[in-house]
Amino acid sequence: MQRLATQPGEVIDRSRPLPFTWNGKPHRGFAGDTIASALAADGVRIFARSMKYHRPRGLLTADYWDPNAFVQVGSDPNVRAGHRLLEAGMDVSAQNVWPSLEYDIKAANGLVGRFLTAGFYYKTFMKPARLWPVYERVLAQFAPGGTVDYDSAHEYFDKRYTHPDVLVAGGGPAGMASAIAAADAGASVMLVEHEHDLGGYLRWGDGAQRELADDLRASCDAHDGIEVLRNATVTGRYEDNWCAVVQRDHPHAVERLIKARAKTLVVAPGLIERPYVFAGNDKPGVLLSGAARRLMNLYAVKPGQRAVVLTANADGDRTVTDLERVGVDVARVVDARAGATVVAAHGGAKAVESVELSDGSSVDADLLVTAVGWTAPTSLLNLAGDRPVYDPQAARFFSDRVPDNIVVTGGLAGDGSAAELVEHGRATGELAARRAAVVAHTLQRLTSRAAPVADDTAQSMPPDDRSPLTRDAHPELFRSSTHGIVDYSEDVGSKDLVAAATEGYDSVELIKRFTTATMGPAQGKLETVNTVAVLAEARGETIAEVGTTVWRPPFAPVTLGALGGRIFEPVRVSSIQPWHEAHGARPILAGQWVRPEHYGDPEGEVRNVRGNVGIIDVTPLGKLDLRGPDVAKLLAHLYTNKWAKLPVGGVRYGVMCAEDGVVMDDGVTGRLGDEHYLMTTTSSGAAGVWEWAENWLQTEHPDWQVHITPVTTAFTSINVAGPNSRELVSRLTAIDLDSDAFGYMQVRRGEIAGAEGCFMWRIGFTGELSYELHVPSGYGLAVWEALLEQGADLGVAPFGLEAQRIMRLEKGHFIVGQDTDGLTRMPTVGLNPLIKLDKPDFAGKVELREAVEDDTLPRLVAIQPDDPDIVPVEASQIVRAGTNEILGRITSSRRSPTLGRSICLGQVAPEAAAPGTTLTVVLTTGQRISAKVMEHHAHFDPDGERQRV
Amino acid sequence: MVSGMATFRAALSSASLGSVRSSLGARVGSGGADKPPRYSAAGLFIKGARREEWPRVWREVDLARSYDAIIIGGGVHGLATAYYLATNHGITNVAVLDKAYLGSGGSGRNTAIVRSNYLTPEGVAFYDRSLTLYNSMSTDLNLNVMFSERGHMTLAHTDGALRTMNWRAEVNKLQNIDSSVIDPAEVKKLAPSLDVSGDTRYPILGALYHPPGGTIRHDAVVWGYARGADHRGVQMHQRTEVFDILCEGGDGPDGKGPGGRVTGVRTNRGDISAPIVVNCTAGWATTISDMAGVRLPITTHPLQAAVTEPVKVFLPTVVVSGSLHVYVSQTDRGELVFGASVDPYATYSMKGSLEFTEELAGHVLELMPGIGRMRLLRQWAGLCDMTPDYSPVMGFTPVDGFLCDVGWGTYGFKAGPVSGEQMAEAIATGRTPKLIEPFALSRFAAGDLVGEKGAAAVGH
Ligand SMILES: Cc1cc2nc3c(=O)[nH]c(=O)nc-3n(C[C@H](O)[C@H](O)[C@H](O)COP(=O)(O)OP(=O)(O)OC[C@H]3O[C@@H](n4cnc5c(N)ncnc54)[C@H](O)[C@@H]3O)c2cc1C
Repeated sequence: MQRLATQPGEVIDRSRPLPFTWNGKPHRGFAGDTIASALAADGVRIFARSMKYHRPRGLLTADYWDPNAFVQVGSDPNVRAGHRLLEAGMDVSAQNVWPSLEYDIKAANGLVGRFLTAGFYYKTFMKPARLWPVYERVLAQFAPGGTVDYDSAHEYFDKRYTHPDVLVAGGGPAGMASAIAAADAGASVMLVEHEHDLGGYLRWGDGAQRELADDLRASCDAHDGIEVLRNATVTGRYEDNWCAVVQRDHPHAVERLIKARAKTLVVAPGLIERPYVFAGNDKPGVLLSGAARRLMNLYAVKPGQRAVVLTANADGDRTVTDLERVGVDVARVVDARAGATVVAAHGGAKAVESVELSDGSSVDADLLVTAVGWTAPTSLLNLAGDRPVYDPQAARFFSDRVPDNIVVTGGLAGDGSAAELVEHGRATGELAARRAAVVAHTLQRLTSRAAPVADDTAQSMPPDDRSPLTRDAHPELFRSSTHGIVDYSEDVGSKDLVAAATEGYDSVELIKRFTTATMGPAQGKLETVNTVAVLAEARGETIAEVGTTVWRPPFAPVTLGALGGRIFEPVRVSSIQPWHEAHGARPILAGQWVRPEHYGDPEGEVRNVRGNVGIIDVTPLGKLDLRGPDVAKLLAHLYTNKWAKLPVGGVRYGVMCAEDGVVMDDGVTGRLGDEHYLMTTTSSGAAGVWEWAENWLQTEHPDWQVHITPVTTAFTSINVAGPNSRELVSRLTAIDLDSDAFGYMQVRRGEIAGAEGCFMWRIGFTGELSYELHVPSGYGLAVWEALLEQGADLGVAPFGLEAQRIMRLEKGHFIVGQDTDGLTRMPTVGLNPLIKLDKPDFAGKVELREAVEDDTLPRLVAIQPDDPDIVPVEASQIVRAGTNEILGRITSSRRSPTLGRSICLGQVAPEAAAPGTTLTVVLTTGQRISAKVMEHHAHFDPDGERQRV
Repeated sequence: MVSGMATFRAALSSASLGSVRSSLGARVGSGGADKPPRYSAAGLFIKGARREEWPRVWREVDLARSYDAIIIGGGVHGLATAYYLATNHGITNVAVLDKAYLGSGGSGRNTAIVRSNYLTPEGVAFYDRSLTLYNSMSTDLNLNVMFSERGHMTLAHTDGALRTMNWRAEVNKLQNIDSSVIDPAEVKKLAPSLDVSGDTRYPILGALYHPPGGTIRHDAVVWGYARGADHRGVQMHQRTEVFDILCEGGDGPDGKGPGGRVTGVRTNRGDISAPIVVNCTAGWATTISDMAGVRLPITTHPLQAAVTEPVKVFLPTVVVSGSLHVYVSQTDRGELVFGASVDPYATYSMKGSLEFTEELAGHVLELMPGIGRMRLLRQWAGLCDMTPDYSPVMGFTPVDGFLCDVGWGTYGFKAGPVSGEQMAEAIATGRTPKLIEPFALSRFAAGDLVGEKGAAAVGH
């Protein structure tokens, strides 16, 4: 091929040459070129090797869907050379070739092609079984596609939300006309065009067509009501017109995912030209008519010297005119409407040399152009539930029924002159705008917080009053009398399909799965209809009887980057975290939070709490503010125990169970006022408990008056624990801390260290006298520092999560999710007194009624290894002595600095749960040790005297 | 319910099994069609050289009016049950009915991960047997199912997750399953594309590594069982939808329900009688069991999956992250296959959602930040029959002759072979084999759930 003199509609800028490399060799194109057009203009004919047989492949469609033009650009694999615009300095190379595009060793596969029928791998490589991994590695060598550089840096991708009245998918004549009409009617319109410019097929048309395109384009660009996105694709239409739009030419992001909630969607993607199946149809030099015309008219590339054109329609005829205009010798026009056709393309390995025709003649040519009809890309409609129906007269599928918030126009709707398509587009745009107004009206009427609507009566969707497009008759041309390639990317031929059908894979779904036809990057846009046609032929049925497979989203592939966008899952930290970091805290990721694990010496921290006083930042505790007259009812429903009598100022511990009786969360809740409570949850359970509570309120008890506000980060929470805690806290607050005035499990509100709006309660996870302060976040650091300052003489020091875990284990307090698992029902943890079966109802009651009677449930027990120096790793198994029969496991274990020995909690079968039982624990090394079941969960201060003082 | 089952067993061994055996006698000799040609490299060569065609994988035959057993559902479970009925027990007068094509349900939509490092001894024993059957399946079925023992790695991003991994590893060790916890450096060695730097939002703290786990070609398993069953005389009927199950003597309307017995099924192609009807319909399980008046504690949720365009193979193992609700493996064709946990709502719709692909991609990029330019090619969904304890419902039901092999949720593909084997044994002997005892329907009434819930959430 070669570059032609200036063409009237060309889109290249000859004043801006762009150098780039192809397989390491220098080349040159112009701004406006695609990679493919630049290479073609520079005489490149082979772009790739086919997947299985490694046959040389040249351009076929010369657009986004070209199965033969996948290239590697730098570290970017699978770039569509027919679509991606050329940039200066691009490093472009062929994929899937070895050692080089011209001399590919695997081309030898072509010689054994007839043994490597589709699905051949299911029939061999079975023996010897041990060799399969070797075969597998060999097969993997054939994996198509480029190379991903997984060490490349994370790039910038973006997302955007938008709510257009009308979203138009496709910027051809019909799409542009509908956008203009809809915008003229007052709708806000987003017009999305897959290619680099608006215009559709008019862009490579004749002068009049280009002029029409220019006019429509100018109107779209100038219209205030239309946002035009070029090089963007509507990739999916989900429920209620929730549409995904991928924008590929955002100035800063590699790709951007736009999520559009469109009131109406206009589907106008045009038609995709279909290849013809015959022997040699994948030789370089066989082009579809659209490809030939794009190359000539947009990029001024001469596609060959001497051509044969197979035409069944006006596009084919126009191709002949264009070819002659640019000086290609059109050796023969084969008119399929008159019954003539192409039988085979012959030639050496690398290109077409002659074309064999149905009249028996053979014509020398280096170019064969086919124009045999179209495939309707109905993907977006399928996603809306449409099942397209085949029309044999028009030789393509048409959509059958679509929801009324979707309107179809352009080639998917029918045929017509450009003027007729524009007319249909206009009517479509008007209809879409009217329907969008109804949708908007309905939304406003039904949305309680929206402004009141003037006319509050329900409106119905305006009926489709457009005059339909006609359907032109078109000959059914799928396969010639010879066999050829059906799926270019998968290297599947019609012969493979026939063989598969004969073997019993004779429905569309089975044949697709067995041969992998339509599974490649174009996802059937070029291949599906030919696959169906060949299958229909093999079964002696019609295309309509065979039907198509479901087209699944996305319409065009989307980068993972665009889908993932930026990650909006920030790590959460308390307002004191910077202080912790500055003071040597070792961070630990706990659920969504980063918090101090310890400040260097966890055991020392434990000793300081037990001996003096320590402070810990417990902000991650989930906190829910509950208000309303029915809070007690809600609490009684969520927790297994009773709440009606909790007085103002009181705090109570509760356990929540799921409906299967499995422990799901625990925590304390305090009553701050008559109708005001504060609930705390486990750190990791906060979101789940909120959802759980809302679920009960919204679905089961909408009559209960309760407002839930999550306030986890609104308060910074600090636990002050240790014998000196009362003295320390008293120095910061006027609240009376005297044991009689402020007893264990009580809550008080007031000022702490000058901060207003605080409250604190007396509880004891560590087992010491302790006060948990909840301070408005902004004062968190100030209170923390005040505690340290005021308590210097009392020996105050911060402690971290690890020290707290040790102390709670010393006290035998279980942690939900660690000492319990997805099947631990409440009786296992030994809190049956908290299960109040006499309450009318609560979550989990039905199951728990059975569970409390069940003497086979595992039991949570405290365990001490006989050897005080051995700390079995958490998850160590407990087995029946001398066997591998599992009786339970260690759920928590630590060395206790207070007791100077190892201590554990574990779940064991009831038979092994009695105090004093000797257990066999298997360490991770396999060594077996013995350990004893203790009398109480608490290894230390079982009566809880220290926390009650 | 329990007593109902006891009487059923008695009934089965005397009555229905008797009929199975007697009709079996009648079929001996007539069962085998012409021995079909074996698949092999030599076969490929000869067929290729002679340009001959292979015979049908399974034959198309007329639907009879009665069978010894009818299996509803042409997925891996139904087909494996049929195959082992014929192979291990000589019961061949069997029809497998599917409303669409074979493998149209979960069996053709799953991500084909197989492993045996489950959490409970019951689970481990069961899935390990399946893995054994998968290991020799290509030769047993004479069809390459492409079992790729590439290792299975479950990442831990938190202390808590690491603890669960340790738990699983310890249980597995006691059961002689190759499964251990590895550190980030070893993770990196096995899957260099993972970011183990620790600077990520969800740092990789370690992983449970299970070398015998891997992937398999799901369609091949389906076709292999169908072909094997066909060779032994079983009939496969596609596009045959069961509308009703015919019963007599039960407590409910039309003789359905506990205490009754099954007499056949009603389909779009007419009524068919059979003393044994097996429900292997996964996502549609409750619609079928309702037809017999048997209630199952199952809800159907969609599970979504997606693949990327192919690139050269760079991910040699299966990688699962429970905290990020995602798992990924790369096929021999070079596509990354992604899956997640079930959608949180119950529905029979199999439409994919945009949110799924967004969350999926975001999480995959957390693990492998360098692959942002890979493109998602296709997404789809299948139906999963979820039970409260993430374990199946297998075996007899209170309706005589009506058996279930359902509740396979998100993890049932790997269980296909062993389930088929055990269900076939149950049908042939009238007794519940030991391996599937823990999965009896009666466990829900007895409160005897199986403890896989803790570990199976995204554990396909
Ligand atoms: C996306 C996804 C990923 C998964 N990943 C994995 C994985 O990695 N590993 C794993 O082990 N498992 C996985 N699973 C689960 C696994 O796919 C299923 O558990 C398994 O395939 C169930 O097989 P089955 O034979 O029981 O049912 P199915 O294969 O679902 O077959 C049921 C059949 O019943 C038919 N049927 C239904 N109703 C009727 C009727 N009325 N009449 C006649 N026929 C009827 C259906 O057409 C269908 O073919 C995954 C599932 C999904 C959806």
